[in-house]
Amino acid sequence: MFTTMFKLYPRKMKSLVKYAFICLACLTSSVYAQMPHDVIYMPKRTACIAASYINSSWKEYWENSLMRENLNIGTHTTQSVMPMVAVGISDKLNVIVGVPYVSTKASAGNLMGQKGIQDLSGWLKYQLVKNDKGISLHGVIGGSIPVGNYVPDFLPMSIGLQTKTATVRLIANYTHKSGVYLTAHESYILRSKIKVDRDAYQADSRVYNTNEVSVPNANDVAARLGYIKHGGRIQAEFFAEHFTCVGGDNIRRNDMPFPTNNMTSSSVGFYGKYQPQNIGFNVRVAKVVDGLNVGQSMSFSVGLLYQLNYFKKEEKK
Amino acid sequence: MINILKYLIITLTLGIGGLLLSCDKTVTEPIKEAYIPTKLDENAGNWKPFILTSSSEVAVAAPKASSDASYLKELDSLKNKILPVLTPTNKDAIAYWGAGAVYRWNEIARELAARYNVPPASNAEGKYPVPDASNPLADPRFPFANPPYTARALAYLSVAQYDALVSTWNYKFKYNRKAPSKNDATISAFLPVSDLPSYPSEDAVVAAASYTILVAMFPGEVPYLNAKLAEAKNARVWAGINVPSDISAGDALGKAVGAKVMAKAKVDGMSAANNQTLVDGQIEAAKGRGIKDVWVSQEAPVRPPTLPNYGAVTTWNFDKKMLESIRPKMPYVVGSAEWQKEYEELEKINKSQTREQARIANYWADGAGSYTPPGHWSREAANLCHDYKFSEVATARAMALVSTALMDAGIACWDTKYYYYTPRPQQFGLKTSVGLPNFPSYTSGHSTFSAAAATVLGSIFPSKATEMNYKAKEASDSRVYGLIHFRKDCELGLVHGTKIGEFAIARGKADGSNP
Repeated sequence: MFTTMFKLYPRKMKSLVKYAFICLACLTSSVYAQMPHDVIYMPKRTACIAASYINSSWKEYWENSLMRENLNIGTHTTQSVMPMVAVGISDKLNVIVGVPYVSTKASAGNLMGQKGIQDLSGWLKYQLVKNDKGISLHGVIGGSIPVGNYVPDFLPMSIGLQTKTATVRLIANYTHKSGVYLTAHESYILRSKIKVDRDAYQADSRVYNTNEVSVPNANDVAARLGYIKHGGRIQAEFFAEHFTCVGGDNIRRNDMPFPTNNMTSSSVGFYGKYQPQNIGFNVRVAKVVDGLNVGQSMSFSVGLLYQLNYFKKEEKK
Repeated sequence: MINILKYLIITLTLGIGGLLLSCDKTVTEPIKEAYIPTKLDENAGNWKPFILTSSSEVAVAAPKASSDASYLKELDSLKNKILPVLTPTNKDAIAYWGAGAVYRWNEIARELAARYNVPPASNAEGKYPVPDASNPLADPRFPFANPPYTARALAYLSVAQYDALVSTWNYKFKYNRKAPSKNDATISAFLPVSDLPSYPSEDAVVAAASYTILVAMFPGEVPYLNAKLAEAKNARVWAGINVPSDISAGDALGKAVGAKVMAKAKVDGMSAANNQTLVDGQIEAAKGRGIKDVWVSQEAPVRPPTLPNYGAVTTWNFDKKMLESIRPKMPYVVGSAEWQKEYEELEKINKSQTREQARIANYWADGAGSYTPPGHWSREAANLCHDYKFSEVATARAMALVSTALMDAGIACWDTKYYYYTPRPQQFGLKTSVGLPNFPSYTSGHSTFSAAAATVLGSIFPSKATEMNYKAKEASDSRVYGLIHFRKDCELGLVHGTKIGEFAIARGKADGSNP
């Protein structure tokens, strides 16, 4: 829960991917942002690399629906570094891959911080429909698999939940010729069972005598209102996101969170990008405004973007 | 590079497809099935009970003869009215309870322990309200089923089951009423039927005795336990194994024995176990023994120590004098060379805990929200009894010996903890990967509990002795790997626990079960 969990969420992963996957296009010097929930595409045979730093922290959290602080945790902070690659397979089909290194710490109490490589995620984004009035529809499928052998149930200190995920998403966009745009998406996220070190645990008010844990599926919706100009060299948007689990239980009174919890959050934020040349950067700020079984985190991230033209060169040979 | 991309796309697509096809959320739990016990234990009516003076202390009236009209009517009703109209829910209940009454009621107790094993939250004034038995569902709920509380609940549960079953076996073989399907061959039971006489019903006895203990230990769970009790009794009739008169006789016997055992529990000293007024004196006494740095709660706000007077609760298998004579010797003194060496071991783990160390620490943590280490070993014991196809009474005997050893271990360990009042590693800047218990360090509760239980289990199941000792050692090590105990806490806890287990073995050898 808490930011840790936020981070683990596929939605969050998408967000992470999003921040960092702002990429340059090819030598035409067009500049593109590219992420699994926007409608911008890398042109064919172009690629870009990006690296983001994300810092997310909370002091208060929702224990079930009760908002509280915990003097034995203090402020909980999650920091991540996320390298990513995005490639244009065609002008309408992009692939994005990334894997973060995550670390957690608590400012008070004695819970040991955790750190390590988290989950590898990959996305395919395809432009389904686009008309000449600025309206388009896009389909995205994504997946993630754990890379590091981290502990998933030492929450809120764990760096991830160890689930494999699969996401299907539909994105709709309207862009006015002035550069003002409105984007909305909805996704369904399948999350696999996980295995924990213990062979009995409590969830749904009962004891399960197994090391298998059922992590609930999830869905997320988001809306973004922004402005994009100069082929994507400048972009700014405000967004609202809502993430919710399909089922799941709640944190018990004064107990710690568990991967079976129904972690729900609503957040609002700002995203901006500036990329005058091959090198560019982006920033993102977001705050959780409401939730269940999660930390009320405030997060910010900065990303460094760099365009590659590797595939063009290869083609010339 | 293009090939790599193709590969990536294919992998991604297949991976997602695979996950879509395998998105089943059902977790696999072991299934426990009914069995015919390897032995009937015909003489168990002569085994020595824990609390009852004899197996005939509670009287059970003779049943009606198999030729009696009222019994024949019961058989007829079973055959023609009950068995033909069973629902799928009834059949699920038959299968569930078929695993064994002692097995299931211990499992239920562990589940309740887990549900209630959360320390109270601090209130706005920075105080920790004490759970109130007369208002069990208010926040904080009563009880806080920490390891000592759970050990005690499981011990009285198992003793009640055992004493009630010894009585049951006495009357079963005294009255020798055959099972319904052996009196009337046209009745076919849904579970395997042994040659055990059916009156009084051992399942009803265990259900009623267990219910009586558990409603006292978990007073907020009366509706839940009422439902379990009703189902446990009905399931044996639905299974075609008992008639209602078997059940009602068992119910009365179980309740009577349960009440006698609870009467003992009420005067065992538990009501004074949380006497916080003793703490200042305990600290002074520990300092007088040479302990320089004493334990201090690491929680914010500072939380009073868990059950500082639990060491004065009445033990089962040895007396107070023996408790004092086997108390572990004076431990390390902070700052000594010995302490320094142990601290350095922890410091190294703090810096670079391996994944295997974390795994062991997590597997044995049994912390908040779990059924605690006594629950862990109770489960181990119940599974062994099931695997070895023990009869109900033999299962109850094994569970009683293990769980009284566990409670004795808790008492003796708590006595030691507050006798020396030593500091936790976290008072010297170390973190933990499992959560820090709120009571003094020396000796390790996990080590004492585990060695006591493993020693008893090794005696009852000699072929498992090596495995049990290995598990106890791993449970003990887990507290070093989780960084909340010094090595010596664990090593001497294991030695202490082994001695405590041997007292339970001695009781078992003298109870008449091994003539």
